[in-house]
Amino acid sequence: MSATEPALLSLTEVAQAIVQKRLSSREATQSCLDRIAQWQSPLNAFMAIEAHEALAAADDADASLAKGTLRGPLHGVPLAHKDMYYDAGKVVTCGSRIRRDFVATSTATALQRLKDAGTIRLGSLQMAEFAYGPTGHNTHYGPVHNPWALDRVTGGSSSGSGAAVAARLTFAALGSDTGGSIRMPAHFCGVTGLKTTVGRISRAGAMPLSQSLDTVGPLARTALDCALLLGLMAGADADDPTAVLGPLPDYTAATRQPMKGLIIGVPTAFYVDDLDPEVAGILDDTIAVLKREGADIVQVELPDQRQLTAACQLVLAVEAAAFHKRWMIERPQDYGPQVLMRLQNGLAIPGVSYLEAMRWRGPALSAHLAAVAGVDAVIAPVAPVAAPTIAESDVGNSPDAEAVIQRLTRFTRPINYLGLPALAIPSGFTRGGLPVAMQLIGRSFDEAMLLRIGAAFQRATDFHDRVPKSA
Amino acid sequence: MTRPSAKEIKAIADVAGVPVSADVAARIANSIGPAFEGFAVVAGTLPFDLEPASFLVVQAAQDTNEVLK
Repeated sequence: MSATEPALLSLTEVAQAIVQKRLSSREATQSCLDRIAQWQSPLNAFMAIEAHEALAAADDADASLAKGTLRGPLHGVPLAHKDMYYDAGKVVTCGSRIRRDFVATSTATALQRLKDAGTIRLGSLQMAEFAYGPTGHNTHYGPVHNPWALDRVTGGSSSGSGAAVAARLTFAALGSDTGGSIRMPAHFCGVTGLKTTVGRISRAGAMPLSQSLDTVGPLARTALDCALLLGLMAGADADDPTAVLGPLPDYTAATRQPMKGLIIGVPTAFYVDDLDPEVAGILDDTIAVLKREGADIVQVELPDQRQLTAACQLVLAVEAAAFHKRWMIERPQDYGPQVLMRLQNGLAIPGVSYLEAMRWRGPALSAHLAAVAGVDAVIAPVAPVAAPTIAESDVGNSPDAEAVIQRLTRFTRPINYLGLPALAIPSGFTRGGLPVAMQLIGRSFDEAMLLRIGAAFQRATDFHDRVPKSA
Repeated sequence: MTRPSAKEIKAIADVAGVPVSADVAARIANSIGPAFEGFAVVAGTLPFDLEPASFLVVQAAQDTNEVLK
């Protein structure tokens, strides 16, 4: 690893370097491809690597810039994304056997907006089958390995996104978060991940799992990088009426604001219960940094989060089963055992129960907002433990599989049910060298506040700058 | 709100057009039981005229507040 290796720059840094002609798109792209060649075999992070096309696109971007044409703020920046974002003319597997040969005929709005900003495509990234799994296992394409410890999981479902950003194979990656699928890989892999408010970014052209809970968001090295990407992707979209209209804040400007004077809440229960001692210690250390940077820390008593988790499970199970019903009838043998098992769970939930869970969402969000009325954000662990081993988390469709999954995702699902934004930030390492992240949980549509706090935290710490050693 | 039994799940799955074996029905009952138990406190208590779109109303009020800041 060289200190001058372009792939080690952050997204913001590489974009500026290309625009200012201190670095060519080809150099940046070749650097990523060199690292992909080194890491792909041990990590299995990429679904497809498109080296020749990427270099050709980089040369084209360099030629355009030489003629004075700047396509956008990410001109010539090579990126790869979770393999569930439709890209016209490309195979989009969704991590599945069923869509192994599916060629998209349209391009996802979020992806198109990044293309319009000048990005080029490195390939596509691995993921849990149909984004329905929190560990990074995939029956069809093999597990993605954690670059910090190859015998450990990456978290999922955005498994390739977490691993590839951590190993510096791409400057950033799109993930999706329906039950924790951006925050879990960010936590296990030591990168920054933004789960956006439901409605903040268009989901048009993104593979659906649960229409009420699905969110699009980035995994990147820094909060500033996430702010840059959010600003490019957010906003209304004629192809997705759930994407909210209205003015957007300047997210990158928010990252320059200080933490001083902000009030950050620490839950009195649930998120601090039954933590691994090392995770508990890192939570304490994180709170100490926030205090040192000028934040006021207060305790907050949140409504019963177990009810939110249960409601989330009812909604997710039914909506996922409804999306997949035709394939469950016609091609059940083509699903991995765990995904089929979880899809079948949705069959057993009566319509009245599902609608009760949907009707309760408004009052539950009101109650949460009332509980956090005096604070700017809440801090909590993403998960109670650091990355488990691939072997111990390979529960397949065993009778206790759902219980294992629920335990692992118990701190992320309540936030999905409430549709709130949350920013996972690298916050420390275990004695064994595994990364641990905390999540900043905000109010609906207040991603700017989370990015402000996250960026201030990253100015005071270096956990996000650490790079796993070569395999 | 009680968790459905394996027998009930088998019947529901049949009606849904995606039949499952008795073993699968038992596994589903085991998997989703905790969700039913966790939601039991809420189930059956919601007011008559509460509709799902209230979530969007609460969310939108927050968005408006953020813009006005």
